[in-house]
Amino acid sequence: MANPTADRFEHDTIDILVRLSRRPIEPTPEKELMADLGFDSLQILEFVGELEDHFNISVPLNSLTHVRTVGQIVDEVRKLAAAEPGPSA
Amino acid sequence: MSIDRTIGDALRRAAESPFGLRFIEHDGRMVVVTYRELLAQACVVGGALRAAGYQPGDRVALVVPEVSAFVTAFFGIIAAGLVPVPLCPPAQAGDVATFTRQSTHIIDASRAVAVLTTADVEPLLTTASGSVSPKFHRLDTLLATNTPLAEPTPLPLDAVALLQFTSGSTALPKGVVLSHGNISANVRAILGPSGLDAREGDVAVSWLPLYHDMGLIGMLLSSLYAPADAVLMSPVLFLKRPSAWLDAISTYGGTVSFAPNFAYELCRRRVKSSQLAALDLSRWRVAGCGAEPIRPDTLMQFAEYFAPAGFAASSFLPSYGLAEHALAVTFAHGGLQVDVVDAERLVRESVAMPVAEGGTPVRVVRCGTTFPEHELRIVDEAFATLPERHVGAIVARGPSVMQGYFEQPDATAATLHDGWLLTGDLGYLADGALYVCGRSKDLIIRQGRKYHPPDLEASLADLQGVAISGVVVFGVDRLESADEVVAVVETRAGGRGAEVEDAIRRRVRETAGLEIDRVVLTAPGTIPRTTSGKVRRSETRDRLEAGTLVR
Repeated sequence: MANPTADRFEHDTIDILVRLSRRPIEPTPEKELMADLGFDSLQILEFVGELEDHFNISVPLNSLTHVRTVGQIVDEVRKLAAAEPGPSA
Repeated sequence: MSIDRTIGDALRRAAESPFGLRFIEHDGRMVVVTYRELLAQACVVGGALRAAGYQPGDRVALVVPEVSAFVTAFFGIIAAGLVPVPLCPPAQAGDVATFTRQSTHIIDASRAVAVLTTADVEPLLTTASGSVSPKFHRLDTLLATNTPLAEPTPLPLDAVALLQFTSGSTALPKGVVLSHGNISANVRAILGPSGLDAREGDVAVSWLPLYHDMGLIGMLLSSLYAPADAVLMSPVLFLKRPSAWLDAISTYGGTVSFAPNFAYELCRRRVKSSQLAALDLSRWRVAGCGAEPIRPDTLMQFAEYFAPAGFAASSFLPSYGLAEHALAVTFAHGGLQVDVVDAERLVRESVAMPVAEGGTPVRVVRCGTTFPEHELRIVDEAFATLPERHVGAIVARGPSVMQGYFEQPDATAATLHDGWLLTGDLGYLADGALYVCGRSKDLIIRQGRKYHPPDLEASLADLQGVAISGVVVFGVDRLESADEVVAVVETRAGGRGAEVEDAIRRRVRETAGLEIDRVVLTAPGTIPRTTSGKVRRSETRDRLEAGTLVR
């Protein structure tokens, strides 16, 4: 979170992760959602819902199928936000 | 009115009614279809499958993430007289390996001749190496064909209708074989006066996965057989925004909706109080709860929280069921009712008696009585019927009981005795009503998903620092709160505790998507074993609970 090169997408994504986690975590782009941060499939969907609301995006089904790390999620969010003509783009 | 008919016949009958289905997809997109339109689509898909050369009775695996497309594909397979094998679609984010492994297992074990799927999902399956090589078909391609069936293929009631694979097991998924007769018998029970008491104007609303019994049989097929309107929502949408479920009940006047305990908990936790004013839950007359242990607190808190939106606690309908019984075994009318018994005596003596002075009370939820034509007993290990308030094995008999596990004669023989289904769950009867107070001791249930300890243990066997067959995983039933998942692990000399513990948690998350609550590291030789060296799981658990495990 103290990373000065982190952009809004990374910063906000990490904030959401910390808020949703049931135990203290320190997400970094390299960390894996399930293996490192202990998110289960239920929490991941809750997380996706929060990302959609926060960034005003719609995450297509299966677009995250291969995603494992926080960094990959941030990249995906960035791409979706750029494609969406919403106010947060 | 008799509704003893095949699913294909039920679809034909429903097509003569004005009713139909409304789908709400993961992104909120709606698709509305009447049963008449659905029948036409099913005949197109079914015609294409028959033209491809498949014969009635052949299995077709079904992996379709979107709800509307899943239903079209399901009825297409049914119309062709083929046997659908519904599979769980890939989860979001990082679970591809598990998806591919489990799907390949099931496609293999069901000896599916074909896989009906979508362009997105197909690449995840074709790369998998299985011992069978089914043909892959995409739904949109089949829908574009022009060789429709005139009507669904006529089948006898005892023809196989569905292979329902039991969820969760990573090693040996078992395919529950249900005939059309099994399904129509269970649906008749569900809709009848001792079930939902279906009536004019009923609208079912569901977010439940359609690849599982409760969503498929309890919500979709019950609505079809009734016939009645139903609103079927993507489970992904519900898990992203639990309020979407209640919004749909409110908007479409939902009268019947079922969900596992955790869904009620999720709603109370995640639907904001500011959203309550916009909800009208007053028409929701059956709020079914089943598929996992029911916690009285969860339901009472839900009722209290949503009372301002018109929710009536008397709508609760606790239920008990399992895939091997098509779906429903018992329904409890009259809302949530609990039996307060002595926890100590329940655990030590297996009796459900009023709590003694100074004893610890535990509340067990009343799951009700079984249906006409169906029987229920509580038996001991010798299969003798136990008196009321004695805890024993729940066994059931009747027209809903499965035909067996697909091509697993040993597993079938171990589960069906003389027409009686051994459910694997424990319970007692009081005033004729069933109380479920335990289950197959080796099963862990989390959020409706089942995990088999032997699979979890096998996945940990090769970890650095873990002694040979030195892992035992089990769930500790906390009765009124969520179960605790515990791993007891013998570590080799030199294995560093924190690292081993971390590796264990990580491996179970990766392979099963399950969070271990407590890891107990011990010295080799601590875990009790049989003379042949197999771990004694329940003895390990009992000793850990009693504090006598670590010497």
